[in-house]
Amino acid sequence: MSASSKTETTPVVEEPLITGNQTFHTVTDVVSRIAERKTTVTWLALVGMSASLALVLLGSIGYLVWEGVGIWGLNVPVAWGWAIVNFVFWVGIGHAGTLISAILHLFRQRWRTSINRFAEAMTLFAVICALIFPAIHVGRIWVVYWMLPIPNQMEMWPQFRSPLLWDVFAVSVYFTVSLLFWYVGLIPDLATLRDRAKTKIRKLALGILSLGWRGGNRQWINYERAYLILAGLSTPLVLSVHSVVSTDFAVSMVPGWHTTIFPPYFVAGAIFSGFAMVMTLGIIVRKIFHLEDFITINHLEKMNKIMLLTGMMVGYAYACEFFVAWYSGNVYEAFTFVNRAFGPYAWAYWIMVTCNVLIPQIFWFRRFRRHVTIMFIATIFINIGMWFERFVIVMSLARDFLPSSWDYYSPTIWDILTFIGSFGLFFTLFLLFIRFVPVIAMAEVKAVLPQADPHHGEKH
Amino acid sequence: MKKRIPMKIEPAPTPQRTGKEYWRSLAQLAQTDEFKQRLHNEFPEGAQEMGNDWSRRSFLTLMGASIALAGLSGCRRPVEKIVPYVRRPEEIMPGRPLMYATNMPFGTKSYGVLARANDGRPTKLEGNAEHPSTLGGTNIFIQAAILGLYDPDRAKQPIDGRTKSDWDSFIDYWRSEPHTKYLDNGGRGLAVLSESFASPTLARLKEEFADTFPNATWAAYEPISDENIYDGLELATGQVYQPVHHFDRADIIMSLESDFLERDGNPVTNARGFAAKRKVESQDDTMSRLYVAESCYTITGSMADHRYRLKSSQIGAFTVALARELESQGLTINGLGDVSVDTTQFDQKWLRVAASDLRAAGANAIVLAGAGQPAWVHALVFAMNEALGANGATVTYHAMRDVARPRRSELKALVDAMNAGSVETLIILGGNPVYNAPVDVGFATALNKVNTAIHLSDHVDETSRACRWQLPRTHFLEAWGDVRATDGTLGVVQPLIEPLFEARSDIEVLTLIVRGTSQPGYEVVRETWRSVLGARGFEDRWRVVLHDGLQRDSAIDSSSPRLRASAVARAISLPQPSDGLEVTFRPSNVFDGRFANNGWLHELPDAMSKLAWDNAALMSHGTAKELGVENEDTIRIDLGGRSLETVVWVSPGHADQAITLLLGYGREQLGRVADGVGANAYRLRTLAHPLFATGGAAQRTGGKHLLANTQDHGSMEGRPLVREATLAEYKEADKPHFYPEAPHHPPLVPLWDPHTYQEGYQWGMSIDLNSCIGCNACAVACQSENNIPIVGQEQVRNGREMHWLRLDRYYASNPDDPNGLDEPEVAFQPMACQHCEYAPCESVCPVAATVHDEEGLNVMVYNRCIGTRYCSNNCPYKVRRFNFFNYTNDYPEIHKMTQNPDVTVRSRGVMEKCTYCIQRISAAKITAKAEGRTVTDDDLQTACQQACPADAIVFGNINDPESRVSKMKKINRDYQVLQEYNLKPRTSYLARLRNPHPELAPKVDRGHKGDHGGGH
Repeated sequence: MSASSKTETTPVVEEPLITGNQTFHTVTDVVSRIAERKTTVTWLALVGMSASLALVLLGSIGYLVWEGVGIWGLNVPVAWGWAIVNFVFWVGIGHAGTLISAILHLFRQRWRTSINRFAEAMTLFAVICALIFPAIHVGRIWVVYWMLPIPNQMEMWPQFRSPLLWDVFAVSVYFTVSLLFWYVGLIPDLATLRDRAKTKIRKLALGILSLGWRGGNRQWINYERAYLILAGLSTPLVLSVHSVVSTDFAVSMVPGWHTTIFPPYFVAGAIFSGFAMVMTLGIIVRKIFHLEDFITINHLEKMNKIMLLTGMMVGYAYACEFFVAWYSGNVYEAFTFVNRAFGPYAWAYWIMVTCNVLIPQIFWFRRFRRHVTIMFIATIFINIGMWFERFVIVMSLARDFLPSSWDYYSPTIWDILTFIGSFGLFFTLFLLFIRFVPVIAMAEVKAVLPQADPHHGEKH
Repeated sequence: MKKRIPMKIEPAPTPQRTGKEYWRSLAQLAQTDEFKQRLHNEFPEGAQEMGNDWSRRSFLTLMGASIALAGLSGCRRPVEKIVPYVRRPEEIMPGRPLMYATNMPFGTKSYGVLARANDGRPTKLEGNAEHPSTLGGTNIFIQAAILGLYDPDRAKQPIDGRTKSDWDSFIDYWRSEPHTKYLDNGGRGLAVLSESFASPTLARLKEEFADTFPNATWAAYEPISDENIYDGLELATGQVYQPVHHFDRADIIMSLESDFLERDGNPVTNARGFAAKRKVESQDDTMSRLYVAESCYTITGSMADHRYRLKSSQIGAFTVALARELESQGLTINGLGDVSVDTTQFDQKWLRVAASDLRAAGANAIVLAGAGQPAWVHALVFAMNEALGANGATVTYHAMRDVARPRRSELKALVDAMNAGSVETLIILGGNPVYNAPVDVGFATALNKVNTAIHLSDHVDETSRACRWQLPRTHFLEAWGDVRATDGTLGVVQPLIEPLFEARSDIEVLTLIVRGTSQPGYEVVRETWRSVLGARGFEDRWRVVLHDGLQRDSAIDSSSPRLRASAVARAISLPQPSDGLEVTFRPSNVFDGRFANNGWLHELPDAMSKLAWDNAALMSHGTAKELGVENEDTIRIDLGGRSLETVVWVSPGHADQAITLLLGYGREQLGRVADGVGANAYRLRTLAHPLFATGGAAQRTGGKHLLANTQDHGSMEGRPLVREATLAEYKEADKPHFYPEAPHHPPLVPLWDPHTYQEGYQWGMSIDLNSCIGCNACAVACQSENNIPIVGQEQVRNGREMHWLRLDRYYASNPDDPNGLDEPEVAFQPMACQHCEYAPCESVCPVAATVHDEEGLNVMVYNRCIGTRYCSNNCPYKVRRFNFFNYTNDYPEIHKMTQNPDVTVRSRGVMEKCTYCIQRISAAKITAKAEGRTVTDDDLQTACQQACPADAIVFGNINDPESRVSKMKKINRDYQVLQEYNLKPRTSYLARLRNPHPELAPKVDRGHKGDHGGGH
């Protein structure tokens, strides 16, 4: 089009979501091969390392059950420590997957197709890691099931006013729905793998898992409907689960916890941290398996924009908390926030602010948004910052109402090992996932290929 | 609970081979080698070896007659043949505790106590309300004594040299050789070193000893005692008296470093009297005024209306200055002589105001000096009291009868004799001189020159190991004895239990030494008392004495000693001002070290410093800055050529240029609790300067030693936690104003329809902060009553102490005052579960393990608790305690006998907290119901309330407008901590009042918002 004085607007031509002139066949081939090729030494080594760390988790839990939660650095007043920090951290990470799958699906954000599969998987694994902590942090682990509303001869029910109980419901429902959603999305791809399977066992296993999927028209119609319903179901859950988690704090009367801003603030933080973790993993997977054509730089840039947005929401919440603490005129609240920034845990507070508020500001620049190394480093910082955010919140306990009970909490080696071990479990599960399951939703990606457009090839 | 019965019992059979012989088993009867071997194995020397077998067996022993099949002889009730109860003995009801009256000897003092026995096992001590030495209150030592009984590391059997022996061998040894020899030579070469005592029987035996062995010597030594006070009174009057201070009659009190509320004199009754005079129930009431000059900030100092920070070595000069000031105000003090001091070194205004107050109070004033001050100060104080007219009015003097006075001079003379080789046989009755004798006396070296040393002691301690014979000593709950209280009241020490180990009492051993016969202590004590009570009707009167715990009207009338003015004037010897640091020695939570293996006392945070376990070098901010040290730095203290390495703890309000060291720590091989805790300050203590010394130096050694402090932060941060006013402010206002003021808050509206709690009993508590002296007796009482575990130094350091009741100590000072950090005021606040009506803990528990009951108690269901600890997080008072580990798992079997059977022992992983002594509530309700009436104040006291010597805690039914607690809550000083949160706690506090002299501006400007704290 030559430069002219014509006033008609130029139609925006969206950059293609998938690059590299992929065809249906190449998509199937590239993605399936990851799950089908021979186990590589690298993978084995990585699984070995992760599984060893997972064993550290197992060992730490074993020792915990044997000795008691006294092996951690807890005390009175800080009766919750790293375990709860880790719980909130992992639950937060577990937000991105469902958000990407469900909310972006409903909003017809078609670019999500490249990342939703492993984002959802990551969600599941993060929630598994998260669920471990509240279960093991109780004093008498062997009766932790009393938190569940199991009918019993004493007619003794849980106490429904307790946010911890709401947590049990919120997180377990979230996990169940996320699992279903992920699995439903997997069915066509599992069928693809089944059709390509060469061994009998593989055929049988995948045959069972793909639930008789043949790709018929009717199946597709039902499938799409089910997927939409699940997306609809998941959407409120994305918002509710972390809102409920935030009530663990917000419903209490501890200064620094008792604030109404917590539910939206926690959800924003969760999306923020979830996206950061999706990015961290996505960049690695993309690099190792040469999926640059599927997870393009455009995808990454879009994610960076969301992180910039949510990072600023989190920053706003930090500021808002300070304002309200001052504005409320409550001496305990006011003290807590001054103490947060200048007290014994000021170091953690400023790590948090730096990582969560300052570092994402680089994404105002297009150059950084599209620079893979820089964004990778940034996401690591955000992950760290979001862990510290939870740490800072939980440590409000250290200085509450009566100065006589103020104390300082420091973790023990067991706190640290348990946390590191949870990463072992997470990566073990994730490595198993990329070894055996298509990391990219092939069926969905095919749908966003230019060829899938019924008008493909027609001239405008 | 209130009912007491005399012990209708006969003395325990003794191993003496007369009359009936009791045996444990056929094997013993046959004296088989195997049995002897087992006997040895049962009582190993090392504590760690103590297996479970023995303790369980000993427990059974104590169960007495009800354990028939065990075939044991351990019963103190009148049974000879052991059979199960066919008919229940009168008063014995399984599961129902019985109270017995007895007395706890404590040097020249003693405490009248009630001991609770559960199925024959003493489990708790309370004050005897009818006894003048306690008036129902207690202190930490009384409360913790029960644990000392069940100390697994006590000496268990006689030791001869390094080998285990038995009493028969010792008796044979004594009778065969030394006894006959000393009978022949009149005791030449024989010496006794005892502790001080006030006991008719021991005094009688001491006389008998002197008659039998006229050439023998007897010395009495105590490392910590009122020795200087006695010496001072002797100096002033020519005779020895036991002074008794009547704080309930005193308007103005001047304490010259006397820690009369915690250590000096009789702290229990002192506290009671002091608090009584300061009870303010309405705006018309008045209270006494307390002036304190002291070096180390003590709880007495914390109660002061005016505290003057002064080195111990300056107290003497200060006393003279005060006397001079009194003279200049027109009071003639005979005995002051012409001594003069430079009064400009002191605050002239302070002296003038204090003197005018004393002068105005006249006979209603008390001047008293600390036990650490030299004799002449006490003599001068006597002269001042005489001049004021206080002698005979607020201070009475009682002749000391049946007393062995503690005298360091006697110890010195004994050591000289030992060094000269003129002591062949030394009998050490109690005490631990190798550990606690003045270091320059060289007791340990001298002991090597003694042929045979015999040591009767609770533990195999430093002295025992240097002696040939170690003889285990009974606990006072195990053996018969008698005492005189400070006012001379007689009482019998009545045992509740057969000795747990092969121990014998001082009386029994002394009888053996003197008479060469092994007589039961019971007989010896009754011999004495036959002359006290008269032979006719003896048994009846004896039983009354046992029942009451004292002989009524046996107090010694007070005398009116005449002042020897010239002697006092001559004795005044002002110390030369000296350079360098002053080092003061103070008794600690383990007193002089005698309670060093008592876990409750170690775990109990020091009243002021809040340090548990270790001792430390206490010093002011200024001194620490000068020395370039901070908290938990290790330092070396040099004093008179000796040095000690210890740890720094900054104690706001301590005198500058001075260090206080606590005694009783730094033990080795004493027991599992004592060993390795703190540093032994006795290593710096000399004969000439037993309680404070000057000319010391201290140097940082560069190390760090972590201390277990239970309160890291000393400031209230301007929060309305402890509220205060001066008496004048309180009286003036229509609506009393307290600092800090309660915050303004919106109307307090509950979230849901509240329970009315109008019916039946509604329990509540009121704590009078104006009475609370911060002495910690309640905290130990709670630990004893409620089976609170000892968690150890490391756990306390990690912030996991388990005390259900703690004493918060807050420093306060004027933020504009440059000396604020060094001259803070102190306020205490006992803090336990407040039993909130809208309890924040209850709504967050996911399993409903903490709930309200219909009587308004916030109850903890241990069985249901899964340990999420959410309740603790949401408790604004942070009074909930969590079992992070199974703290009771490794209790020695014998320790379990301390446990109150009415209270659940908590396991790992559950939360616990104050229950308002729900077991006592239940017992009172059951009794009342059985008697067809309702529970009244007389039926029920919580453990803390009962223990409190200051009567600061009142508990009862708030639904009954006539109950004491209801009346307390109506006083207009009543407030709730954090009331703006609408938690409706059932424990409320009465605001504290101070009574400063209007001319001396209060240090804390109460109109000023915000305070800042000392401490960290």
